[in-house]
Amino acid sequence: MTIEFIWQLPVAGDGRYGDARPTRRGERAESARPALSPGVSDPRGDRFNYFDYLHQVARAADLAGFDGIQVPDDPGADESWIVAAYAARATRHVRILTEFPASRGSSVFAAKNAVSFQRFSRGRFAWQIGLGGNEPQRRWYGDPVAEADLLPRIEEFVTVARGVTSGEKFSFAGRFFEVLDGGFEGPLRAYPLPPVYLSGSSEAALALSARVADVHIFDALPVAQLRPAIARLVTLAEQAGRTVAAGLRIDVLARETTREALFDARRVLDQSGTRRQVGDPALGSNHWQGLSSGRNGAAASLFGSYGEVRQRLVEYVEAGIGSFILGAAPHLEEAYRIGELVLPGVRSLVGSERRLAA
Amino acid sequence: MSIDIFWRIPTHGEPRHHRSRTPYRGDWFPGDETRRVPGLGGDGEDGYTYIDYLAEIAHAAEISGFQGGLIPTFPSTEEPWVIAPFLARETKTFRFMIPFQPAFQNPVLVARATASLQRATGGRTLYNIISGGGGPEQLWWGDSVGHDDRYTRTTEFLDVLRGVWKGGPFSYRGKFYQLEDSGLPDPLSREDYPEIYFSGSSDAALASASLHADFYLSWLEPFAQLGEKFDRVKEKTAALGRQIKTAVRVDIIARPTEEEAWREVERGFENIDKAVWERYYASIDSESVGAARQRSFRPTTINSYRDFIIEPNVWSGFALLRGGQTNGIVGSYEQVAERLDQLVQLGAGAFILASTPHLEEAYRVGEEVLPLVRGSVETRLREVA
Repeated sequence: MTIEFIWQLPVAGDGRYGDARPTRRGERAESARPALSPGVSDPRGDRFNYFDYLHQVARAADLAGFDGIQVPDDPGADESWIVAAYAARATRHVRILTEFPASRGSSVFAAKNAVSFQRFSRGRFAWQIGLGGNEPQRRWYGDPVAEADLLPRIEEFVTVARGVTSGEKFSFAGRFFEVLDGGFEGPLRAYPLPPVYLSGSSEAALALSARVADVHIFDALPVAQLRPAIARLVTLAEQAGRTVAAGLRIDVLARETTREALFDARRVLDQSGTRRQVGDPALGSNHWQGLSSGRNGAAASLFGSYGEVRQRLVEYVEAGIGSFILGAAPHLEEAYRIGELVLPGVRSLVGSERRLAA
Repeated sequence: MSIDIFWRIPTHGEPRHHRSRTPYRGDWFPGDETRRVPGLGGDGEDGYTYIDYLAEIAHAAEISGFQGGLIPTFPSTEEPWVIAPFLARETKTFRFMIPFQPAFQNPVLVARATASLQRATGGRTLYNIISGGGGPEQLWWGDSVGHDDRYTRTTEFLDVLRGVWKGGPFSYRGKFYQLEDSGLPDPLSREDYPEIYFSGSSDAALASASLHADFYLSWLEPFAQLGEKFDRVKEKTAALGRQIKTAVRVDIIARPTEEEAWREVERGFENIDKAVWERYYASIDSESVGAARQRSFRPTTINSYRDFIIEPNVWSGFALLRGGQTNGIVGSYEQVAERLDQLVQLGAGAFILASTPHLEEAYRVGEEVLPLVRGSVETRLREVA
């Protein structure tokens, strides 16, 4: 059984332990005043920005034994495909799961760019196609498509992209995309479409994944609540004559002891200044929504000692989850912590080895 | 104002010479898909892929004094939007000239991607806007908009791109694009807007270029004709209260002596595949006005490579050797530099040069030809005199 662990790149900003304020490490343009006092010389000038830090996080995930990195699509951050290509060149093994909406443009053009990406990265590109935000966000993006059409458009996007990478001539005339005698030739022909990851909790979203996705990513829920949804996905996929893997997007806060985890969780919460009515972490399930900001796509965190977090991850695996998208701030330091102290134990408990690219 | 000289990145492999197609670097081989060259195959079997060879060329170009390079895109090539961020971190001064058809991507996405690429490269991104050749190829790309409408769309696309660039809020209601309260977020909105090179020879293209381009880019045409075209573009743009510069994209074969340069052409000419000649004689179905202008220079009878010499040091058979453009400059280092300076006199403010193989020739042209090009300082002195 192969389980993949994917680390999230913090494209919109990162934080320190116990400091909820987002920062962009390396970014000089952002702060109005100098980082160091006038009495201390600063050799950096404007040589660095946040890309340099993202580069480090990507390499940290590669070095610490993750199977992939995820590049989220955040309208307030750098564009995901550019970050993905930049990170791909810096890494050897990790899959580069890149999130974007189907409103990015021509599906043929996206597929053709994906072919180059696969050729240069030796097949490490993967697509996570999202809805493109709520309605004001879509108007911001110049995307006129109605809410009800978002899933049908994703289906056409994937259908066309898969068609032109099938190796045969492909024509299609849909409501959102069209192509005539499409398809890539010569050395560009031998590259299948990157694995497609979709998400969403509605019946329509599960049905769409059953038809076209390789992986369906669920929002974080306690394992008992997740089981029926996974079962439904499996049923729909069987009806469609396909198999679709189940994935989970969840943050982690793992420490040497439960007490430490609890202490750090509360400190982050205090410093975030919101004092939200989020209740106490549920010690029994190690599952807590209190730290979730919603911005990074994680609906909840797994928190606790290393042993507890490992055990909870194993339970998810036993429930059918094969793909984890994990995150924790600060993402550089935490990539090593999780890679060294959590992943090896989970892998050995479920008998899964790290996936290494060709 | 000094001139800018760019190089080119070969996006579908390349042979070792102008004069023969083997061996071929990269895993393309025209007419034989099974062909592989050990170590330079580009398919990843040895851990390297074609991007590693492209990185070599980009380094050669920046070390040799070129501004950067054009990264062409066609149905059979690698894609510049992927190449540029892959090579961003390992290059120092190389500027990535990305050609693209506005139709294929959402303009806000392109604004974000461009600003991010500016951040990843320290401001080394620039555009070559193309609006498509029409005909079957546009539908292959999934685009069914007609020729003149494509330029309307290009103009709207660039309106939106510029509108969102410095942050918002920016709203727009066009024929092709509508958006509300848009704008790039900080710190993306702090980046410089990319320089725009604009291609297209039709009236619709010239009108769109006049509005948005920094450089109007043309293939090489007979010098007098090209000079007239440049004057026309500059007049049109001046009428709109803007200024535009012009640029020439040209293949060159430069050797220590003129004889050696023509000998290279002759040997290449003798090695042209039969299939290439068949394609040459077949009519080409394209709405591209630029391509039609290039075809109009064809000789009526062909007995030797000399029949393709259309003026001193200008040979119109380049498309037969490697595909792409028709006219190129052939001569000694001094002659090539002189011809480039003549183009500067006609108004050229930038060049995109290329020669095969792009790695070795980047050093040759950078070391032997570029130092002989006077550029536009000479122009200013003459104007004063």
